[in-house]
Amino acid sequence: MWAVIKKEFRSYFCSPVGYVFIGLFLLMFSIFFYTDVVDYGVTNFEYIFYSGATVLTFIVPILTMRIFAEERKSGTEQLLLTSPLSLTSITLAKFIAATLVIVITELCTFMYFAILCHFGTPDIVKSFVTLGGFLLLAMSYISFGMLASSLTENQIIAGIITIGFFISSWFLPNFNEIFDNLSLINLFSKFVYGQIDIADTVTFVTFTVMCLLLTITILQRRKSVR
Amino acid sequence: MIEVKNITKKYGSFTALDNVSFEIKEGEIMGLLGPNGAGKSTTMNIITGYIEPTSGEILINGINMLKKPKKAKREIGYMPEGVPLYYDLTPKEFVTYMAGIKKVDKKVLKEKVEKILSETGLADVKNKLIKNLSRGYKQRVSMAGALVGEPKILILDEPTVGLDPKQIAEIRSLIKKLGKDHTVILSSHILSEVSQICDKVIIINKGKLIAIDTPDNLEDKVANDNSVYVTVEDVDNKIEQMKEKIEDIKEIKLIKENDDGTKKYLISANGKTDLRKSIFAEFAKENITIFEMKKPDATLEDAFMQLIGEGGDK
Repeated sequence: MWAVIKKEFRSYFCSPVGYVFIGLFLLMFSIFFYTDVVDYGVTNFEYIFYSGATVLTFIVPILTMRIFAEERKSGTEQLLLTSPLSLTSITLAKFIAATLVIVITELCTFMYFAILCHFGTPDIVKSFVTLGGFLLLAMSYISFGMLASSLTENQIIAGIITIGFFISSWFLPNFNEIFDNLSLINLFSKFVYGQIDIADTVTFVTFTVMCLLLTITILQRRKSVR
Repeated sequence: MIEVKNITKKYGSFTALDNVSFEIKEGEIMGLLGPNGAGKSTTMNIITGYIEPTSGEILINGINMLKKPKKAKREIGYMPEGVPLYYDLTPKEFVTYMAGIKKVDKKVLKEKVEKILSETGLADVKNKLIKNLSRGYKQRVSMAGALVGEPKILILDEPTVGLDPKQIAEIRSLIKKLGKDHTVILSSHILSEVSQICDKVIIINKGKLIAIDTPDNLEDKVANDNSVYVTVEDVDNKIEQMKEKIEDIKEIKLIKENDDGTKKYLISANGKTDLRKSIFAEFAKENITIFEMKKPDATLEDAFMQLIGEGGDK
C-alpha cells in the first residue's frame, strides 16, 4: 500500500497537476485574504477559508478526475488489479495520496497566518478548527471525486460529474430547505466559528466512507462485467 | 502448475469463453494461439484474476484464484497486452513500484530491482523516463515489471508485437531462458514464434478450445506424407508419361514455370508411399534432370488454419 501512496503522491508533482492545484488554490486564497481580511482590517485567519471552501468545488476535480479513469484508459489498471493488493488498499492508498496534497496546501496557507501574526493575534483555536474542518470537507470532496473517476475511463466526464455534484450540493439549498443537509459547504461553515459539531463531523466522515465503499464496490463489480 | 477448470465467460448473450479447461505443468512454456477475438486475452485476464469468469475455477499452484486472490496473484507475473506503463516514471522507479505492490521484502528490494534491470538489459536506460524509450525498451520494462517479485508463473500477452526482428529475437531468447525456471504462458498470433519457443500449444477459436498438443504433433496431424515438390529441366516434355512409368503416382501438377526453363511440379502418390526414390531413379532414365526435390513442410500455420476451419464448420 505504501508503494501506491508514494507513487500516486509523486505523480501529482511529476506532472503539472499538483502545481496547478496548489497554484490555483493559493491564488484564490490570496484574493480572499485581500478581500475578506485585509480590506476589513481584521486578523481573522479563518475568514479566508469561509470563502475558500467554494474554491474546492472547482479544483478538487483536478486532483481526482484522473485517479481511476487514467489507469483504466492506459491499461495500467491491469497491473494494479493483478497485483496482490486488495481493492480496499488500492482505493485507500489513492485517497491518502490525494489527501496529502490537501495537507500540503493547508501548510502553505500558514503564510497568511504568519502575516496576520505580524499585525495582531489571530484566534489560534478558531484557525485550527477551521483547518480541520476544511480538511474534512476536502476529504469528502476527494472521496466523491474518486467515485466519479471509477465510473468512467474519460477524465473529463469524471471531472464534470464531480463539479456538477458539488455545484448542485452548494446551490440546491437556495431553492428548498430540504436540501440544506445535502450542502457540504454549509456544514463546513460552522467550523469557521470555532465550533466542532459532532453531527457535522460524523456527516463528513460517513460521507467519505460511503463514497470510498461505493468506489470499492464499483471496482469489484467491474471484475465480473469487464 | 495452472489448472483451468470449465471456465465460461459471458457478456450478456455473447459467450467469450465456452467451457474451457486445460492444465499447464510446472516448467512448461505454453503458447496460446487463436485468431483475433478468439478469447486469448480473456483467458489470460481470467487466469491473472483481472476479470472473473461467469463460471468455472482457476487453480494457481493449487491456490484458488477466486477464493484466495491475494495469495494466488503473488505466484503470477503478468505482462498485459499493449504494454501498459506509467509513462512519467523511469524504468527503475517503475520496477521499484511493481516490487512494492507485489510486496517484495524492503531489505532486498533495491538489490532485486537492480538485478532484474540488468537481466532485462535495461541497465543503460534505467533513469530515463519511460515515455522517451523506444518500443522495444518499453516491452522490456513491462517484462521487468512482470518478473519482479520472483513469480513462478509468467503470463505474457503478445510479448513480441510491434518489435523489429532483432528485438523479437532478443525477447524470444529471453523467454526461452525464463522458461527454464518458470511456467510461462504466452499468447501470439505469430505461429512460427510459438512453434519455436513453446513446449505446448493451445488453440482457441470463438471461445472454444480446439486443440492442445505439442507444436510437432500438431504439424504431424496435417502433414501430407505422400506428395513431393520437384523442379526439373524436361527438354523432351516427358514428365506426363512418368505417370505410367511409376505406378504409385496419382497426379502430377504443374506449379510454376521458371525463367530458366525449369518447371516446378507437385507430384502426389497413391496412399502413403514415399515417391522420392523412384522419381530419382526413373527421371534419370528418361533424361529429366532434377534440380530440386523436396517434401512440403507442414507448418503450424497449416495446422492452425485447418483446425480453425474445422472449428468454424462445427
